[in-house]
Amino acid sequence: MPFDYAGCKWPIPERVRAAHRRSWERLAAPGFWWTGAERVAIAAECRRAAALEGGSGSDLLPKAAVHAVQKIVVDNANLSREWCDEVCAAEGMSDARYIELLGVLVHIFSIDELHRALGLPLEPLPEPLAGQPSRRRPTGARRIAGWLPITPPDALDPEDADLYDNAPVAANVLTALSLVPANLPWLADLSHAHYASYVEMREMGKVREISRAQQELIAARVSVLNECFY
Amino acid sequence: MGLLGASSRGNEALNFRAIIDASQESGVEHGALLLEFTEAAVRRSDTLGEARAHLAQAAGPDATVDAAGVIANFQRMVRIADGTGIPVDGYILERTGELPQQLGLTEYRSAANTFAAT
Repeated sequence: MPFDYAGCKWPIPERVRAAHRRSWERLAAPGFWWTGAERVAIAAECRRAAALEGGSGSDLLPKAAVHAVQKIVVDNANLSREWCDEVCAAEGMSDARYIELLGVLVHIFSIDELHRALGLPLEPLPEPLAGQPSRRRPTGARRIAGWLPITPPDALDPEDADLYDNAPVAANVLTALSLVPANLPWLADLSHAHYASYVEMREMGKVREISRAQQELIAARVSVLNECFY
Repeated sequence: MGLLGASSRGNEALNFRAIIDASQESGVEHGALLLEFTEAAVRRSDTLGEARAHLAQAAGPDATVDAAGVIANFQRMVRIADGTGIPVDGYILERTGELPQQLGLTEYRSAANTFAAT
């Protein structure tokens, strides 16, 4: 079983172990625009980029996808609309493929970052599952804020009705990946595991072993170190 | 920015300058050790093991794991924001007032995503 943390000296909570296992299931399965094998290849490229290894370890992905992974992992402070447009227009790419790639990348990177911070080995990537991507684009997706279309709470298809837990509005960072709706449950799941659930975020009381003020101090420092204005 | 918005609710004692200058007292318990750990983790510093040990000794292993979780979470969130060019939400801009400018955050390249959009 992945993420059993056998021999780990740190008290990894069960909510974290379980969310990491669900992440591996999500990663291995076909997505909306990439196959399971391609998604696992994106994760592998994410690890190569984080290790500052050049080139590509896979011939499964378009060159622009490999480039995007490397840029987002190591040079995220210098991304631009022009860069994003160029990636999305490149051979083998699209706006939706880019958003799914970003969704896979950030979740794997986050899990790996937790391991690196604690000095733990990285979990071996899962074997991809067979099958084809659904290629479903939300009918209500449109560009509102940011560089790419999103699916806002007032334009959800029936199969995505609970995407925002019936909230009439959502923060930009929660809608950012919604061109590929499957990104959002993954986002919520890992947020709860690593930081706080969306309900807990609205409360200022202590929700973990560290206080909200301690959490926010860390969060703000991470943002500054990344030169991220958001 | 969103983080500052969240932080500014009910955390009046927090000294925001500590997020840009780790030598300053943050007003948060174990703040210096949390900042040391965060910086070492994000920068992949050789001092990471030492910083982690300092935090664990002072705050305990459970707190250290949770701190690592927050680092991991926001290493993800900044890349979502940077990778999609989203602007800071209007209600957060209102709540943070002049603070981002005072801290120099408006100098970041990604600030253009907000100010070009508003």
